[in-house]
Amino acid sequence: MIQLSHVSKTFPSRISALSDVSLQISAGEFAFLTGPNGSGKTTLLRILYCAERPTSGDVIVNGIHITQRGFRKIYQLRRTMGIVFQDFKLLKDRTVGENIAFALEVTGHSPREFGKKVSAILNRVGLQAREEDSVLSLSAGEQQRVAIARALVNNPSLLLADEPTGNLDDRMTAEVMNIFTYLHHRGTTVVFATHDTDLILRYPYRVIHLRGGRKVESSA
Amino acid sequence: MKGNLLPNLTTIAIIGISMLIFSSFSLIAFNLTSFLKAWEEKIEIIAYVKKGVALSDVEGLLKKIRQFEGVEAVKYVSSYDAMAFMEMKLGHQKDLLDGIQPGILPASFEIRLMRDFRNTNNIKDIVSQLGQLPQIDEIQYGQEWVETFLNLVHLFRITQWVLGGLLLMGIIFITFNTLQLTISSRKEEIEIMHILGASPSFIQVPFYIEGLIQGLIGTGLAILFLFYLHYEVLLYKVFFLYVTPSMKEWLAGIPILFLPPEKIALVILGGMVLGFFGSLAASMRFLQYQV
Repeated sequence: MIQLSHVSKTFPSRISALSDVSLQISAGEFAFLTGPNGSGKTTLLRILYCAERPTSGDVIVNGIHITQRGFRKIYQLRRTMGIVFQDFKLLKDRTVGENIAFALEVTGHSPREFGKKVSAILNRVGLQAREEDSVLSLSAGEQQRVAIARALVNNPSLLLADEPTGNLDDRMTAEVMNIFTYLHHRGTTVVFATHDTDLILRYPYRVIHLRGGRKVESSA
Repeated sequence: MKGNLLPNLTTIAIIGISMLIFSSFSLIAFNLTSFLKAWEEKIEIIAYVKKGVALSDVEGLLKKIRQFEGVEAVKYVSSYDAMAFMEMKLGHQKDLLDGIQPGILPASFEIRLMRDFRNTNNIKDIVSQLGQLPQIDEIQYGQEWVETFLNLVHLFRITQWVLGGLLLMGIIFITFNTLQLTISSRKEEIEIMHILGASPSFIQVPFYIEGLIQGLIGTGLAILFLFYLHYEVLLYKVFFLYVTPSMKEWLAGIPILFLPPEKIALVILGGMVLGFFGSLAASMRFLQYQV
């Protein structure tokens, strides 16, 4: 599913974000990506969804060799994955339903499909009653659930999450983690970046530790 | 593209104002050009025929002059025609000509030149050829006036291109920056589209269409406003209230025109092209997937 070979990333300011990182994440696996701030978690995720290009090394995601010269179809790669952020990245002037339908719209689905798919996914994240509400009227936890629902509505095989619980309290974190666990059990590959060690200890998943841009440990 | 009414209206207003300035300039340039053309039409050479030249020679002379390069038309004005013209010009005072024989006025050839030959060098060339004809006495073409006028026309044409070009560059710059601001105001929305895997055409095409429509509406409004200014303000208020009767007489025959349909279409098309390519250039930074 994901394969990194000797991946390094140095920014033009000569800051080294990743250094010779090699790892493999199998299909259906749940992997926590952890480490202190500045350890390279976000850079690694950004490389996986092609927001950054590594300075050296090879990356294969969902069978696509994304570091290959001439690779341009970033949007096609992104359609195979769902991405969730700490700051949700929702369209604030739209309703919950419209935010989710937007993901269907941009990937070329017919508007006739929107209603059914949006209701189904909102049902899965427990927000079916909030479809017509503005996202601004939701709590942070609910907003993150909308963001997860949006990431899932196109049935991606891979879910990348960058500190998705960073802005949430314990109760909301638990709600969000329940959804991720459910998705993992359903077969979705999950890469979950967090610096919350307490959270990691609560779940029996693989942990990839980064420090100073290097992979220091990978444990199940 | 919801909730972007204000940036869109701002863009339309800026394109509208820019195109109003440009189309006003075009209108002034167009009127000055037609004014100069009307005066250019008046450039002609008058070649007076020596006394005693037989009428039978006139046909041969006419033929010869018509063959000079650059001559569009030649008209023979006999002594009698000249007298009739004088009488018409004098109007009520034509009695002044009583007792004067028509033969006293010389016959002449009025020579109109082709458009491309209405310049000092060609005029002088034709004048020199006319001077070689033994039947021709004196040649008049208002040398000083023609030279000054033609220099003025030349200067005006250069100024028109330079000013028009500078104005156009300014408009392109302003429109580009306005569109860039409009697009950057939707940076978040574009970022989300990128995250969700929208195809480049899905992201870009609406912006280009929007630029095209903004150009169309902005320029259309500019033309309508210019039309209003032209008829309601310039023609009826300024021309009829502030132009003196003597000036009106002088200006008669040189109408103040509005832009012809083909020029209006060209300006509107220009506005649309400006909106489209403005969006295209302004969007380069924001709309593409960058790695």
